[in-house]
Amino acid sequence: MIRLDFETPLARFPLRIEADLRAPVTAVMGPSGAGKTSLLDAIAGLRSVASGRIAIDDDVLVDTAAGRRLPPQHRRVGYVPQDAGLFSHLTVRENVLFGARGASNEVGHAIDVLEIGSLGARYPASLSGGEKQRVALARALATRPRLLLLDEPLAALDVSLRDRIVPYLLRVRDEWATPMLYVTHNVGEALALAGEVLLLESGRVEAQGAPLALLATPGLSREARAGIENLLAGEIESHDTEGGVTRVRLAGGLVVSVSIAAERPVGSAVTVAIRAEDVLVATEPVRGLSARNVYEAVVRGIERGPGDAAVRCAIRPELPEWLARLTPAAVADLGLATGSRVWLAVKSHSVRVASAPPPRAGRGADVETGRP
Amino acid sequence: MPTREEWAVVLFTLRVAALGTAMILPFGVAAAALLARRHGPGRTLLDTLFSLPLVLPPTAVGVVLLDAFARVSPLGRVLAAAGIQIAFDWKGVVIATSVMSFPLLVRSALTAFEEVDPRLVGLARTLGCGPMQAFFRVTLPLAWRGVLAGTVLAFARALGEFGATVMLAGNIPGRTQTLALAIFHEAQLGHDDRARVLAGVTAVLAFAALWSAEIVGRARARRTA
Amino acid sequence: MPDTGFAMSWTRRLFAAAALGMAFSASASAADVTVFAAASLADALSAIGKGFESTSGHHVVFNFGASSDLARQVRAGAPADVFFSADQAQMDVVTQAGLVRGADRVDVLSNTLVVVVPAKTPRRLQAASEIASFDRLALADPQAVPAGVYAKKYLESIGLWSRLADRIVPTLNVRGALAAVESENVPAAIVYRTDAAISSRVSVAFEVPRAAGPAIVYVMAPLARASAAARLFAAELTSTRAARVYEKYGFIVLARK
Repeated sequence: MIRLDFETPLARFPLRIEADLRAPVTAVMGPSGAGKTSLLDAIAGLRSVASGRIAIDDDVLVDTAAGRRLPPQHRRVGYVPQDAGLFSHLTVRENVLFGARGASNEVGHAIDVLEIGSLGARYPASLSGGEKQRVALARALATRPRLLLLDEPLAALDVSLRDRIVPYLLRVRDEWATPMLYVTHNVGEALALAGEVLLLESGRVEAQGAPLALLATPGLSREARAGIENLLAGEIESHDTEGGVTRVRLAGGLVVSVSIAAERPVGSAVTVAIRAEDVLVATEPVRGLSARNVYEAVVRGIERGPGDAAVRCAIRPELPEWLARLTPAAVADLGLATGSRVWLAVKSHSVRVASAPPPRAGRGADVETGRP
Repeated sequence: MPTREEWAVVLFTLRVAALGTAMILPFGVAAAALLARRHGPGRTLLDTLFSLPLVLPPTAVGVVLLDAFARVSPLGRVLAAAGIQIAFDWKGVVIATSVMSFPLLVRSALTAFEEVDPRLVGLARTLGCGPMQAFFRVTLPLAWRGVLAGTVLAFARALGEFGATVMLAGNIPGRTQTLALAIFHEAQLGHDDRARVLAGVTAVLAFAALWSAEIVGRARARRTA
Repeated sequence: MPDTGFAMSWTRRLFAAAALGMAFSASASAADVTVFAAASLADALSAIGKGFESTSGHHVVFNFGASSDLARQVRAGAPADVFFSADQAQMDVVTQAGLVRGADRVDVLSNTLVVVVPAKTPRRLQAASEIASFDRLALADPQAVPAGVYAKKYLESIGLWSRLADRIVPTLNVRGALAAVESENVPAAIVYRTDAAISSRVSVAFEVPRAAGPAIVYVMAPLARASAAARLFAAELTSTRAARVYEKYGFIVLARK
């Protein structure tokens, strides 16, 4: 377990973190500049902590009251930065072995799992983005860290590449018992990997909890709410290449049309994400609208924030509520209230297919789809 | 064309410049390492101190060196007891040229070290390196071209040193007379033609040295782009 | 005729301007005399110059250095009015360049050589041959500077030059050789007796007898283009008043021919 209880000044506000992290993978999310990277730096020892305590299980890394500040080289914390941070003057093999005490089973295992064995003699400059990240991962793992910190490791890669690396991260999560702190903006990654989400806002922990639950919480601040997406689990039903539409069948029989995603085979499990602000609300049945997805729903509740309103709607009782983000003016004009009958409309372009949900079983999972 | 004695002067100049540069290399690198990534009044003080020979008149530096190494000075007494002669000796030439070219090495090396991504150094630390280890395993290997360019620059400066050299080591033909001193001497004696020949040789050497520094520096720029 | 007041003030202004102009030209008649002289003459000449300035109202500017260096500068066009060299050779250089008329040359002084050592470690040599015992010897550059040329001539005459040649530390001028011993960086030097006399940080280890040493002659001449004031100073340099100053500093005043 990682116990964080510290404070340290940043440029615009202090970083004040108080949290106990128990999940194997904790996703750290929040708007840019919220202090996510600074949090990782503080744990790794690359940023000094003004006051407080940081401990991993029984090992105290920082305890300012006791005057203890373990230097980075003794913390045994692995770090995978956004751009891999490989040493350009060393080969892949030399990079991986950099912190390891010589080649060992551990190192060989990392090379195998991340499938970088064939890259050994090459230099970082000649590697692709995905290869670099895998080497960076292996390098961190080779030191047998007791905690892995990943700072938006997939941010620099394009979407298709990201989806190919996530399985490796899953493997790492499952093959090593090492807890991971995973900074990301990407909801899909958080869903796929994390057991818990830590939401940061202006240097403080805004919320902490299970990914799906957290992202739908109405009580969040405006900025945190900015990225709220409705997340629904489902399965690819069919592809209509000419029409440019893929149909996803959600739990409860609801079908959502998304922009063509032909690379995903029919039957594969997916999560679809619809941003709350992309959900249109009408008080009359919708006709002649381009949107492919129109559903009748009932308003269950309206949460009002400063200059903002979130309308919770139920389409089917067995489905999670959908969140639609409207201006208070729109809510007033439409005369919306709990119990109002509404029609929700979403363009297929506004529906994003996120990566597969995490596999249940540990080993032997199909890394492509995550199905056992 | 230079005479036999004049070639001897050229050789002597190259040797002392090379020796001096080799001598200051570890100190220059250490000084630059010390300064890199340090901020605040301590750094400003050290930076200014190391850069002084760059802006002081060489003769001023010469006076300071003469005082420092004078037989009557504490340092001078120790050296005299060990039988080591600095003033009016080739060792004085090495010291004078080294002191004058030291700042060039430090500044070039410092720039090179600071160009190394600090996050890479941080990563090395998380991978188990102490500060010194991180310097030798990451910073220095990534900055070596800049250090090399600085070394060549320092060498070029050492080749042309006059003011501090003539004060500390004197202008003793065959003993401490470098190219720069020889040019002065020939002009003093009214042998303007010899002075011109020697000036020409010096120009060629300086040109070659600067050219090499440029090439090495450019290769570095290409690499980090 | 315009308003009288205006015309009168105009006249007054013209008058004031003329007076001012005369005042300027009056001070311009107090000239600058530039004297290039051997380094060993520094103290004596500065004293003579001061006296001259107070009586004549002219301003004397000195450039002391190695006579060889000064001769080179004069030949290259340096604005000297009077040249006072420590040997004939350097005066010849300037004469041959047509900058000095042979008739204007005057042999003014002589000097003798001494061997000096640091005052802190005084020593007296019993014989000239003991000069060879020093591991280094500072001389004004024996290739050109008169003091060094004289010293080399002397060492050659007593057969020590070949032995000492590579132990010589050549300095820019004779005062440089003196300073080298004063700072104890070099164990000994050969300088003029007059130089040793003005320094308390060296002591004389050996005096070269005048007969045994080379003939040292200080030659002085005003340059051909020198002003009246400069010629005045040149004459002062050979006056009895000046002779007293030279003798005070230990120079040998040569009888006027």
